[in-house]
Amino acid sequence: MSVEELVRFNGEALGHARHTVLAELTLGLQAGERVALLGPSGVGKSTLLAALRQRLGYRAAWCPQEHGLVPPLSVYHNVYMGRLERHSALANLLNLIRPRRDAWHEIQALCGELGLEGLLKRPVAQLSGGQRQRVAIARALYQAREVFLGDEPVASIDPHQARRLLHRVQNQHTTCVIALHQRELALTHFDRVWGLRDGRLMLDAPARELTLDDLDTLYPDAHSSDPQPEPA
Amino acid sequence: MREERAPGLLAGDSLNLRLARRSLGLIALCLVLLPFADLAITTHDPWAELGRMLSGLLHPDILATESLPHAIALTIGFALWGTLLGMLLGFPLALLFPHSRLLRGGCAFVRAIHELFWALLLLQVFGLSAVTAIAALTIPYAGIFAKVYAEILELTPRAPVDALPEGVGRLSRFVYAELPMVWSRLSSYTRYRFECAMRSSVLLGFVGLPTLGFHLESAFREGRYPEAGALLWLFYLMIASLHLWGHRRLLPWIALGSLFLLGPWPDIDGALLWRFVSVDLWPQPLLEGNWSGLWQWFGEIPDLLPAIGNTLLLGLMGTAGSLVVALLLWPLASRHFGNRPTRMAGKGVLILMRSTPELMLAFIFLLMLGPSMLPAWLALSLHNGALIAFLVARHADAIVPGSHALPASGRYAYELLPRLYGGLLALLFYRAETIIRETALLGMLGIATLGFHIDSSFAYMMFDQAFVLLLITAALNIGVDALARRYRPREIAETPGQHDRPAGEAPC
Amino acid sequence: MRWLVACLLILVSTAASAETFRFTAIPDENQSRLEERFDKVAHYLEDRLGVEVEYVPVKSYSAAVSAFRNDQVQLAWFGGLTGVQARRLVPDSRAIAQGKEDAEFRTYFIAHHDSDIDTQGDDLPKNVQGKAFTFGAKTSTSGRLMPEYYIRNQFGAPPKSLFSRVGFSGDHTRTIALVESGTYDIGAVNFKVWDAAVADGRVDTDKVDVIWKTPTYPDYQWTVRGDVDSRYGDGFTDKVRQALLDMHDPELLESFPREGFIPADNDDYQPIEDVGEKLGLLR
Repeated sequence: MSVEELVRFNGEALGHARHTVLAELTLGLQAGERVALLGPSGVGKSTLLAALRQRLGYRAAWCPQEHGLVPPLSVYHNVYMGRLERHSALANLLNLIRPRRDAWHEIQALCGELGLEGLLKRPVAQLSGGQRQRVAIARALYQAREVFLGDEPVASIDPHQARRLLHRVQNQHTTCVIALHQRELALTHFDRVWGLRDGRLMLDAPARELTLDDLDTLYPDAHSSDPQPEPA
Repeated sequence: MREERAPGLLAGDSLNLRLARRSLGLIALCLVLLPFADLAITTHDPWAELGRMLSGLLHPDILATESLPHAIALTIGFALWGTLLGMLLGFPLALLFPHSRLLRGGCAFVRAIHELFWALLLLQVFGLSAVTAIAALTIPYAGIFAKVYAEILELTPRAPVDALPEGVGRLSRFVYAELPMVWSRLSSYTRYRFECAMRSSVLLGFVGLPTLGFHLESAFREGRYPEAGALLWLFYLMIASLHLWGHRRLLPWIALGSLFLLGPWPDIDGALLWRFVSVDLWPQPLLEGNWSGLWQWFGEIPDLLPAIGNTLLLGLMGTAGSLVVALLLWPLASRHFGNRPTRMAGKGVLILMRSTPELMLAFIFLLMLGPSMLPAWLALSLHNGALIAFLVARHADAIVPGSHALPASGRYAYELLPRLYGGLLALLFYRAETIIRETALLGMLGIATLGFHIDSSFAYMMFDQAFVLLLITAALNIGVDALARRYRPREIAETPGQHDRPAGEAPC
Repeated sequence: MRWLVACLLILVSTAASAETFRFTAIPDENQSRLEERFDKVAHYLEDRLGVEVEYVPVKSYSAAVSAFRNDQVQLAWFGGLTGVQARRLVPDSRAIAQGKEDAEFRTYFIAHHDSDIDTQGDDLPKNVQGKAFTFGAKTSTSGRLMPEYYIRNQFGAPPKSLFSRVGFSGDHTRTIALVESGTYDIGAVNFKVWDAAVADGRVDTDKVDVIWKTPTYPDYQWTVRGDVDSRYGDGFTDKVRQALLDMHDPELLESFPREGFIPADNDDYQPIEDVGEKLGLLR
């Protein structure tokens, strides 16, 4: 069976105009692969996800951190924004005044699954951090695309909930790249782990071949009392 | 302020030192030029008149004014429609604002001419009608809204737009991911501007439009002080109770209701309008293509250079004066000083001073001190100084002092002022544009600024001369604004309370 | 929606009542209760003319002229100079009547006692030079035009080089108040306004008094637009004039304030026009 390769980087440098965040990046994303992206904050996870998003274009659903939401608008409208490009400007305008019936039902069902029932009309500004993250996930799911790209979508959600949410995401998307900081989840819910450290890809291996200790090497101050050998 | 900074310390490159040097430069320039200003005190017997004035304020006679409800309704109606139409025009302009130099220039021009001068100009075409009043507010406000809305829109957070799926149309992107992010700032600015419009609407009465100002000015001018007092109190009351009746849901009804009272609408005589725009406004020699005649025509404008000089000088003095007043007064309303009653009193004084139309303040000082530049200077300094002091006190209240052991003076100089000074100066430089606009306006009281000659030209029906003087005034304002922008402290992007102050504390 | 239509209908109907005959008057003293007083005049005219008459309040000379020019009023009680301005701007408009006092109007020069001005003699005293002086409104005939004319006539110099300070108080009542408070040493004031203020005890004559009275000149008049005959019926102008001449009720006349009205025409104001041109106030 031949697997489709969705994206490939060949020794490329990613970053902003003058500042390289990730150097000499070589990796490929296969269809049907669930990838966990790990690494200390500021290492370039978001940069990598943005690059993936750009390459994948219409094929990717994008779940940014909560600051991608529009706090004054309601949960419904924030989720609806996932399909903003599929309607005419006029339809979108009218939807602001009076929600579309079809969209409303669909979003209501989706939000019910994510534990946001009864909050559809509430402005996002009035939600808790965890609720906002779920709104961001709902928006990405609502986009209904092939690949799910998530930038720490379950960061401030308790482990039990986080598992449920990942499950829900992966049910809909056979291919996903999700930045995480819960290392256990990376091993239990993903096929592959990409680990970033010091501006380069340090780890690219199937999850089943990895242990928690392997993942710890990505974080400079983890287990500082028990220093790990440099990975080969 | 000046004593608190030892001279040696002024050398240095820290932000506050640079600001201190800038403000001392401003004050020094003002002091150097002061001898050129006419500041004589000429009154020898103002007390009888002032006594009558005070007793009028204390014994207001609310029944003396006829058709008072109508005047109140018109004041509100003009302000509301002027703001509304200005907003409707200004908003689309704000979207184009960053892209068109021509548009920015045009907006700067319409802003630079005071509402009252617009009214005088429009009066010639639309007469004493609601069209004149509303257009006189709408035109400059459209320019102001365009600029301020554009500044607010520029600060829209990018993240929601970045999060949108590819291929979202411009309009959808704007209404979903951009507009909601700045909506509260836009609406709070619009609200603030409506309050300004109320003040301006009252002022329109001074040129004869039938608002509260019509009666207020007549009563003051004729010395019917109980009536004037009542009107002044009523005006304060209207401003102070704005949050009660100026409710979002109520305003559309007030706007619709006021439509009934705004008539009769003038029949616009097309020929007259055309003659006014194509002939009356332009110097005769220019229309004939007679260049040497044009030069001579220019020469006949009386005292042009002294008027420009006086306008600039008064503007400078007003700015420096506002700085001093603001520095002295802000502690009055701040929670860091005094006790509850003193703060209440302090706030009251500041609100009274900033709500009283400058023209009225200047008029009172004119009676006390005589017809020099002094009354105008005091009026400008007190009004604008109080306005800035009020905002600075609000910023100060957001600061948590580090050490409670300091005496008040130490708290002022060491704890608070260093943190507030940048914001204060930024406000002052924003106000400079307003101050110079008001300077021209005070000319209507007889202080020989450009406004004096504009008023004369309108009285003599020499519209070409008035128009040229207005153009000069506008150019002057634009110049001063550019200068103020250059010296405005930019480093203080995040002064406390920045969020309750819309970008560009715009002219009021 | 229906409500909105109703609004619009009412707006249109208020705009449509255009053939009302409107007038205004420059009030020279006591602007309180203007509408109440002039509404009585409007009623009187309505009875006599048989059309609806409405009074439009104005507060300044120039506002009155622009209202006349814009056809917001068809009849106006103007000052000498403002009448000339108005008739120049509206071709065919005519002066039709003036007050009995207006054929021989005067300006009084008043001074504060502390300014020690010698009041003896037939001319404006010599020692007014170097004092602070105020006119009334910029286009007032009695408060600006004629006093300036007589000052220039007598001293051969413009007021600006004669006095230490020249101001424009804005109106006659204010001129009196400013001289009384000592803000200015001297002021030029409409003699009717001064006499009324003295009669009512509104001025302290221990502090301020008349130092010189100008020769007489023509002043206030009623001016009517030239097109009223075609709009309100033939002979309408004459009807208006007759109504004004027949106004004898002291209560009505008090608003102007005049003893009565007598006929006048444009030529009566030629001297005013000449002086206006000479001083550069008309061109």
